[in-house]
Amino acid sequence: MPLTERLTHLKEAVRRGDHRQHRQPGAPMLAAEFDALGLTWMQRQARLITAMCEAEQVVILPDERIVFTRTLPTVPPVWREEAWARLTAGRTLHELGPTSNICADWGMVLSQGLLGRREVALATRQRCADQPETVEFIDSALETIDAVLALAERYADAARDLGREDIAGALAHLPAHPPRTFHEALQFLRLVHAVVWLGGHYHVGLGRFDQYMWPYLENDLAAGRLDHAAAEELLAEFFVSLNKDSDLYPGVQQGDNGQTLTVGGVTPMGKSGVNELTLMVLRVAHDVSMIDPKINLRIAPDTDLDLLCLASELTEKGLGFPQYSNDDVVIPGLVAHGYTLEDARNYTVAACWEFIVPGKGMDVVNIGAVSFPSAADTAIREGLQAGESFTAIMERVRHDVRLQVNRLVDAYSNLLLPPAPYYSALMDGCLETGRDLSQGLTYNNFGIHGACSANGADALAAVHKLVLEGKTVAPERLLTALETDFADDDVLRMVLQEEGPKVGTNDPQADDILIALFDMLADACEQIEDNGRGGIVRPGTGSAMYYIWLARDHENMREPAVGTTADGRKAGTPFSANLAPAPGVRVPGPISVFQSFSKIDYHRIVNGGPITIELSSTVFRNPDAIRKVAMLVRTFAQLGCQQLQVNSLNAETLCEAQLQPELHQDLIVRVWGWSGYFCELSPEYQEHVIRRHQYQLG
Amino acid sequence: MTTGLVFDIKEFAVHDGPGIRTTVFLKGCPLNCAWCHSPEGKDRAPQIMHTLRGDRTVGKAYTPEALAAYLNSQIPILTANEGGVTFSGGEPLMQAAFIHATLDRLDPVHVLLDTSGFADGPVFAQLVRRFDLVYFDLKLMDPVTHLAHTGVSNAPILDNLRRLSASRVPFVIRVPLVPTITDTNENLSAIARYLHGLPGLVRVDLLPYNPLAGAKYPMLGMAYPLHELEHRSVTLQPEIFSDKGIQVQCH
Repeated sequence: MPLTERLTHLKEAVRRGDHRQHRQPGAPMLAAEFDALGLTWMQRQARLITAMCEAEQVVILPDERIVFTRTLPTVPPVWREEAWARLTAGRTLHELGPTSNICADWGMVLSQGLLGRREVALATRQRCADQPETVEFIDSALETIDAVLALAERYADAARDLGREDIAGALAHLPAHPPRTFHEALQFLRLVHAVVWLGGHYHVGLGRFDQYMWPYLENDLAAGRLDHAAAEELLAEFFVSLNKDSDLYPGVQQGDNGQTLTVGGVTPMGKSGVNELTLMVLRVAHDVSMIDPKINLRIAPDTDLDLLCLASELTEKGLGFPQYSNDDVVIPGLVAHGYTLEDARNYTVAACWEFIVPGKGMDVVNIGAVSFPSAADTAIREGLQAGESFTAIMERVRHDVRLQVNRLVDAYSNLLLPPAPYYSALMDGCLETGRDLSQGLTYNNFGIHGACSANGADALAAVHKLVLEGKTVAPERLLTALETDFADDDVLRMVLQEEGPKVGTNDPQADDILIALFDMLADACEQIEDNGRGGIVRPGTGSAMYYIWLARDHENMREPAVGTTADGRKAGTPFSANLAPAPGVRVPGPISVFQSFSKIDYHRIVNGGPITIELSSTVFRNPDAIRKVAMLVRTFAQLGCQQLQVNSLNAETLCEAQLQPELHQDLIVRVWGWSGYFCELSPEYQEHVIRRHQYQLG
Repeated sequence: MTTGLVFDIKEFAVHDGPGIRTTVFLKGCPLNCAWCHSPEGKDRAPQIMHTLRGDRTVGKAYTPEALAAYLNSQIPILTANEGGVTFSGGEPLMQAAFIHATLDRLDPVHVLLDTSGFADGPVFAQLVRRFDLVYFDLKLMDPVTHLAHTGVSNAPILDNLRRLSASRVPFVIRVPLVPTITDTNENLSAIARYLHGLPGLVRVDLLPYNPLAGAKYPMLGMAYPLHELEHRSVTLQPEIFSDKGIQVQCH
């Protein structure tokens, strides 16, 4: 269904950035004032929220029915530089410092309203009046709650002055009290969520949206207050509003903001959680077609094909979502790592792919990566020089993987998490017990990803098959080629590329090594009994930016970079991203890819990281083909894989591939009755494909 | 031992038949169609293809055992998704013995043969019997233009179409629409007349010619003969078929 005229205008205005005219030049500078007042860190974090809420200027745009437009472009530091340096000396900060990449218990917050949260805080304050630390935390949390309520009141007043009684009425009630309607619930969430960002937190996820929002929608539909079309229009407006501030969010590049939303899957009691809102989210995300929110869909091997068809239509948009997670694999994996069954069933997907429990997880899901290519390469070079067997080389890999894990965990044993009184108020148990979330929640685990696994396994498999087993390549010849980046031996490079066993082709020799690498990672993580925060270390399969960084090196990176590798890869060439065949490897297709990656023991490897496949947008050209894509997704779940990202290629990707072919070697385009590698086509034919795609998408 | 020469295998071939399919492309073709988009499927011998990523050998030898083992590992998946295995080419009938031997070793699965129909009559009849569905190409009805554009006579093709119809194996007719060559009123009407009332016909697929057909020729050191067509578009006239009560699909 196309967007309504009002929504089309709202979307276009956000795309043009009309709302940015309301932005203030900067945020208030606070650190000096905080110093003068002698505020503690906790108090500073609370006062930051107050100052930001007070400095926000009310913006009510004529067409909007869900309001809040951020006008402060930055978040000021709460310490002066010298004090900050003293405070953090010898400590490890996670990324930028502030708590990020967790998920509030939005359902709880909506159902209690901020006044409800206030009551909880006051009760704890009374109970623990003799504990100064608790009192300080509770008072700080109360301050932030009051700041948000005051901001809402200013919005209500301004709306009244403008004669917008609908907005005034809602904001006189919200977010102090629980919402009475779906519309109010969306307005509540928009405001309370945006303030988390204002506090300097980032990767602020929206959790299991269809679970906690459905009761409000269900009531409206049952009472006849809303019909489906009106509900979809409200939801579309909410989605558009989430795109207003994208350029203000920190991230590697715009769009990398972790504003994710998860739908589908089972309830904490194990029943199907799919409802009308699940479908509505997929439909509306399709119609809105903007980068936020990023949709995750939880599925299982028996998920209804119609739901998967709807999801595949969203994939066709080329936005790169939904990403799929397989409940049948994820939930038992979490349970095996100490999560209660109810909590495991209630997982949501973090900024990228890690599984976290809303309200209960203070996990740091990505403390870094193990560089599989480096572990493999070091072992291959040293092992071959020492004339060792393949078993001995694999022992070296094991040792290296363990060292890399220990190095990351050691660095994070010093982790310094700033206090977060406002975010704490939105979590389970902080106000109840009087402890800030930086002190820990129910789950305090770390995550480490095993990055670029396909390249690591391919390099070892090539050595196993061609050097040690078949003896068609002399060890000295390989070592020389690795030292010289195949400068005088391109023949060897081709042999390694063409004849080495490859992950993603369902080749047992390559896949066995892939499994061994992840077993080594799991072994290394499992020997960490306590990560220093009462948690464990969860191994995963993601690679994030490491597929570039490990190949090209990066400033201040803890992970070891690597040059030429034994899979026939020249120095500087990017590695495989997440779970995907190494760039340039010819695979027969997605079934072999699924078969290869289904062999990983996801009972142990539970930190997420998707199998990534790319389909030409021409694959989606009719309902029958969409249905086949849905069946392919179901097959992923039926084979016992954990997570899947399906990309549909659009003209933009193709143009990028033309400029940087080395990054898009696996890009497959449907030409006419045959599919070809885009980068194998000569430029004029690439232009043809691009033109055709532009035509189709236009 | 019979070995086969395969120039590509494509999983999740969404346009090669019902459901999720894996398509095996067999190398070698007796026709030499000017508009062929898979020139690497023409020659029966392995060839070097010069791509932007470097040279690559096209054409891999398989034993029936190896190909069947690969396919059998996927059959539960293909079957669960209403699909199966497609044998295409090149012209698969040129390697009929290899396909027989592979089918002998294949677990039960829906199999589809995608053929030009140009083959020895008895060889054709024996092989198609083993398939659940046949995709049969029909390009030009006029014998003279057929010879001119494909290098062979269409008489054996039409004979085999009669055999196919008599075999009771359901079939789909695939017509490549090449501007000014096959995509003419005269030719399409002749095809429609020929197909009218033919037992076993499921439908007609119209496959519009795409200018990208020539993409691979330079990589094989071959010249693409139809460059002048690159900017012409086809006239889609499904009604030529639907008017005769023939089901038609445009791709």
